[in-house]
Amino acid sequence: MDSVISIRNLTKNYGKYRAIEDINLDVMRGEIFGYLGPNGAGKTTTIRTLLDFIRPTKGSVTVLDLDSRTDSRQIRKRIGYLPGDIGLYEKMTGRQLLKYIDGLRGGLDWHFVRQLTERFEANIDQPIRTLSRGNKQKIGLMQAFMHTPELIIMDEPTNGLDPLMQQEFYRLVEEMNKKGATIFISSHIVPEIERLCSKVGIIRKGKLVAVEEVEKLKEKAIRKITFVFDEPVSKEEFENLPGVRDIEVEGNALKCTIKGTVDALVKAAGMHKVIKIISADGNLEEIFLDFYAVGNK
Amino acid sequence: MILRNVFVKSLWDQKRSLAWWCLGIGLVIIVTMLFYPTMREMTELNEMFATDENPLMKVFVGNITDFTSPEGFINSQLLIFIVPLLYIVFAIGIGSGSIAGEEENGTLDFLLAHPLTRESVVVQKFLAMIIAAISIGIFGWVSLIIGAAIVDMEIGYSRLAAATFGGVLLGITYGGIAFFLGAALGKRSFSIGMAGALGIGGYLLNSLGPMVGWLEPFRKISPFYYYSNSDPLINGLDWSHMVVLLVVILLEGGVAVLTFRRRDLAVG
Repeated sequence: MDSVISIRNLTKNYGKYRAIEDINLDVMRGEIFGYLGPNGAGKTTTIRTLLDFIRPTKGSVTVLDLDSRTDSRQIRKRIGYLPGDIGLYEKMTGRQLLKYIDGLRGGLDWHFVRQLTERFEANIDQPIRTLSRGNKQKIGLMQAFMHTPELIIMDEPTNGLDPLMQQEFYRLVEEMNKKGATIFISSHIVPEIERLCSKVGIIRKGKLVAVEEVEKLKEKAIRKITFVFDEPVSKEEFENLPGVRDIEVEGNALKCTIKGTVDALVKAAGMHKVIKIISADGNLEEIFLDFYAVGNK
Repeated sequence: MILRNVFVKSLWDQKRSLAWWCLGIGLVIIVTMLFYPTMREMTELNEMFATDENPLMKVFVGNITDFTSPEGFINSQLLIFIVPLLYIVFAIGIGSGSIAGEEENGTLDFLLAHPLTRESVVVQKFLAMIIAAISIGIFGWVSLIIGAAIVDMEIGYSRLAAATFGGVLLGITYGGIAFFLGAALGKRSFSIGMAGALGIGGYLLNSLGPMVGWLEPFRKISPFYYYSNSDPLINGLDWSHMVVLLVVILLEGGVAVLTFRRRDLAVG
């Protein structure tokens, strides 16, 4: 697998403020990569470096094996980009805007544009200034997809979309990905990344704190687990077990959270007669919150 | 209308504002020209300004002692102040909006997501500003001709063209300041304010220069000097003066390219 986006030691300072620090990241061809972090963590800064809108203080970026500084035009020819908080030419209609882009890029497949218009139920015949936020976002998405680029970079793509359109957007991303496009999505919405992405990078206060396949990350997740016994148990028996936290005992039931392997916990529980075990699968949201909880201590 | 590139698109953006400006400039010029028959009879005006009793008035009418000839009338009533002011304000409006305006609206990220170099965006937008200013100038020139015809004034079209050309170059010079400041810093209001302040400064410098001894040598740094000092309405274009303005405009475009391609772009 070859690397489509390759970020090396990327640091960006604004005066004394360090927006991102020493980021190393590879996005492989064919991946749907989620760049997850709360607002202000440095997602947009990273993305805008890929597009050469801002220049690294330190480090380097290659996109499609091209240098982000010297070959930016070549890069931008081959990618689709949706800015966060997109600003569109308000006086134009969507159709005029898309035609303008066709004028700049050339060779647009208008049949595909019509398909996108229908699927997003986009209004492209009214001046953009009269459209709602969600309807503007649809036009932003269309212009990122419509020339079927090999890499699509999107900054908070579902901003303003209603739930139905979000689902349509997810389907479209998956279709584009099946056809070979690599997708890079930044988001602060964990379920979105979990739903869509094969791999996730978590950024916190300008630093990349984890890069992992979503499935593997879930395995590492903190899980909630409940044992119901045939008799009351004492809390002390389960304290100090590796990975076990937040123990609560209510009558015959023991509730706790566990990180990592459940072996020790199960063996301790085995000292009693276990009636049932309720275990919820870990989800990304908890992992995400865990990263932040740890980081903030 | 097919918008194939940034240049055509930038002009397309201006179409409505361009129409209003043309109408406004046309009205100002033609309505002013309608007063010519009245003013022609007021020869005492010439005597009043021939003496040095009203030095301050000269700031507003220039170093003019003839108000009743066609050239004197057009110069004093239109070309010394109001018409170049309109060209300047128009050009500053476009110049400041070209890069800084798009940056503040957040459309610059969108535009540059497509395969365009920053250099090409700057050059195309700069050319669009120049063409828009020339269109306004042509409209001003035609209005002068129409006004002259209405009041039966005898004046050569080519002299009117010469004076208008100088005015347009002056406008572009100040528009270019707003343009390159916007390209260099991305701040629209600042570029308008700065270019406007330099415009007022340049005007005062040139018009006070003849009266305030120590200012005299500095007149030549004012673009107004190159616009009006050779009096193109009477003497035709002084090309050496036009070349100065053209060089300044080229420099402004060059600085805009160099500064814009080096810096980080702001989020809208």
